[in-house]
Amino acid sequence: MATSLLGSCTPRAVTAQGRDVNTLYDIFFWIAAGVFVITAGLIAWSIIRYRAKPGDEDLPKQFRHNLKLEITWFAIPQAIVIVLFVLSALTLTDVNERVPEPAATVNVTAYQWGWRFAYEGTDVEVVGTPQQPAEILVPTGNLAFLLTSADVVHAFYVPKFLIKRDTIPGRTTRLDVAVEAPGTFDGECAEFCGLLHHRMPFTIEAVSPDQFQSWLDDMSAEI
Amino acid sequence: MATLDHALAHTAPRPTGVVGWITTVDHKRIGILYMITAVVFFIASGILALLMRAELAQPGLQIMDESTYNQAFTIHGTGMMLLFATPLVAGFANYFVPLHVGAPDVAFPRLNALTYWLYALGGLVVFSGFLTASGAASFGWTGYAPLSDSTYTPGAGVDLWIIGLILVGFSSILGAVNLMATIFGMRAPGMTMFRLPIFIWNMIVTLALIMFSFPVLTAALAALFIDRNFGGGFFDPAQGGDPILWQHLFWFFGHPEVYVVILPFFGVVTEIIPVFSRKPLFGYRGFVFATLLIGAYSFTVWAHHMFTTGSVDNPFFSAMTMLIAVPTGVKFFSWIATMWRGKLRFQTPMLFTMGFLFMFLIGGITGIFVASPPIDLAVHDTYYVVAHMHYVLFGGTVFAMFAAFYYWIPKMSGRMMGERLGKLHFWLMLLGFNVTFFPMHQLGLDGMQRRIPDYLPERGFDTLNALSTVGSAIVAMSILVFISNFLLSMKKGAPAGDDPWGGNTLEWATTSPPPHHNFRSLPPIVSERPVFDARHGVHGDG
Ligand code: HEM
Ligand SMILES: [Cu+2]
Ligand SMILES: [Cu+2]
Repeated sequence: MATSLLGSCTPRAVTAQGRDVNTLYDIFFWIAAGVFVITAGLIAWSIIRYRAKPGDEDLPKQFRHNLKLEITWFAIPQAIVIVLFVLSALTLTDVNERVPEPAATVNVTAYQWGWRFAYEGTDVEVVGTPQQPAEILVPTGNLAFLLTSADVVHAFYVPKFLIKRDTIPGRTTRLDVAVEAPGTFDGECAEFCGLLHHRMPFTIEAVSPDQFQSWLDDMSAEI
Repeated sequence: MATLDHALAHTAPRPTGVVGWITTVDHKRIGILYMITAVVFFIASGILALLMRAELAQPGLQIMDESTYNQAFTIHGTGMMLLFATPLVAGFANYFVPLHVGAPDVAFPRLNALTYWLYALGGLVVFSGFLTASGAASFGWTGYAPLSDSTYTPGAGVDLWIIGLILVGFSSILGAVNLMATIFGMRAPGMTMFRLPIFIWNMIVTLALIMFSFPVLTAALAALFIDRNFGGGFFDPAQGGDPILWQHLFWFFGHPEVYVVILPFFGVVTEIIPVFSRKPLFGYRGFVFATLLIGAYSFTVWAHHMFTTGSVDNPFFSAMTMLIAVPTGVKFFSWIATMWRGKLRFQTPMLFTMGFLFMFLIGGITGIFVASPPIDLAVHDTYYVVAHMHYVLFGGTVFAMFAAFYYWIPKMSGRMMGERLGKLHFWLMLLGFNVTFFPMHQLGLDGMQRRIPDYLPERGFDTLNALSTVGSAIVAMSILVFISNFLLSMKKGAPAGDDPWGGNTLEWATTSPPPHHNFRSLPPIVSERPVFDARHGVHGDG
């Protein structure tokens, strides 16, 4: 709960894509802070400076327009949002880009209420339930998650990846990430999916490719 | 005066008492019925929210099970949006549109009564879901398919939700047609389009949004009803249907809907600020232009609610969503320039208006964040969005609603509201609101999803949730202060007189409350503030 109103407040991501989002968020944050301070400051200034003096019944000057001013205050916000849009569109292309040669491709199926993870090219499958949430291993490096749902819409959400993606029945969506360092990351379902929506946690542990391979072999042998 | 023909036909004595209220076709009485009913739904939906906040105060399930919680947020959201905020707009519009344009009533008074009763009935039908065996609808106010289909959420409560909302939908559409006809057909002589009060301009755009968006909702709900009861398969992938289609239809309605519940309140504060600054609105035409632009843009942004589906053209919807912030910014600068070098008085209506400015500013700024697809991919469906939308809906609509109540209740009742209790109400609400909703931004960034009755203690969400729950109790207290103030003022409040604030628009040119058919005579209309002109002896534009 690293709350700090100065610095940006997003948790630092553990993926390359997530870090792009962090950077974008930080830029937005500082521009937004500037816009807020200026606008709120002007309002506050008006409130303090132009409060009527008791007993002053004269009308203030009745001015109504100033075309130049109005064009300016249309143009400046317009320019700001264009910049923000371009930055967003660039970042979006980055985060949506498919990772080259994923070290693992995981087929994820969400269902009421749990997750099934199947590793492509193997027969390894990990299934979680509300009582026994799934815990899976992945190698560090490039990963592709191919997502679908067996029933209603859910969303695959690992807060430390920052990026989430819906799982939709009848469709396959995709989330590509590059995990930069080993670690354990909690996941959740983010799209409301019925009674036990809050009980769909899962855990992803990123380990070195060697460790991952031996885990995969063990899992395979168990079947 | 404009058309009195149909209205003067009422020569028979009008029934009084309860029967009088039930059979009324008077726009002012219907307006009051709308407002009271909307506030009742505000309180009912608010109680559901307080229960949710109580449940979330600490980890674990303490006061309700999952199913009850899911019903609570569904009916809270539905109730607040469609049974409170939208009909509240109808209430203010009913009462003040005819007064503002100098008309004796709305164009079709009987249709007007019908729309009210359709709404009241629809609202009861939605809430009656709680009385069924399986409870009320429980899939969120957005009703996403296929969760809302009978396979996943069986039960009569959902069908009641659909039928109730279809009734409310018809009510809104018919009401919009009626008010539009009033504005375009019944304006007083001299009231050209550019002399319309800015409230009316905002209403024109609002009514157009209702006319284009509610039919889509109503049709989508009908399709959902067919899916549930007759195997329609519109939204069922197993039958070749498409769950994403529902999202498109819902948000094609849903995004204009948020402007339906905010534009009229932009109108309200744009009436209040000039009166309490004693200056004309700065940039009237620019303001009208901005309102029209918001109306047009609002139909091009709906899929910003669907970025995480991966199936929309993200850059387009993102671009449009960011652009829509620009006309909203223009409005802020108009408001500030109106106050600039004015002589500002801070009675309660103006205080709530200032609260509105600051709170809506925060909600508007976080709106730019969520309009950016990569940021939305992070915060979508988390408490960040819950925070954002309450800064817009509560910080915007509800603060402006109270500004409007304090401003107009003297006109509607003939009595002033108490200033001391009004100020107490304001400060308590400002405090409680921010304590409730500001921490939610951080909870969302830290990954707390919305629509969950419980969270694991190790996720570290407890402190901020407890704080937020305390805030909601303060909000509840502030509402009690308002209710006491209202009841006391209706008994003992100082007489308001015709024009307690030094108003601009025509409602201040008649008695408080106005007589049946509103006006005995009208001042000449040479600008958008005829009552100001009459008071200060102005005889020409500007
Ligand atoms: C005391 C005042 C209020 C409190 C404490 C409150 C609290 C909440 C909370 C905690 C949620 C999230 C529930 C969840 O996701 O689990 C929520 C959702 C919502 N609220 Fe409020 N709220 C209040 C007033 C309002 C008002 C005035 C409006 C609209 C005019 C509103 C509209 C909504 C909507 C549309 C949702 C989404 C419901 C859904 O997820 O389907 N709320 N509210
Ligand atoms: Cu879920
Ligand atoms: Cu929207």
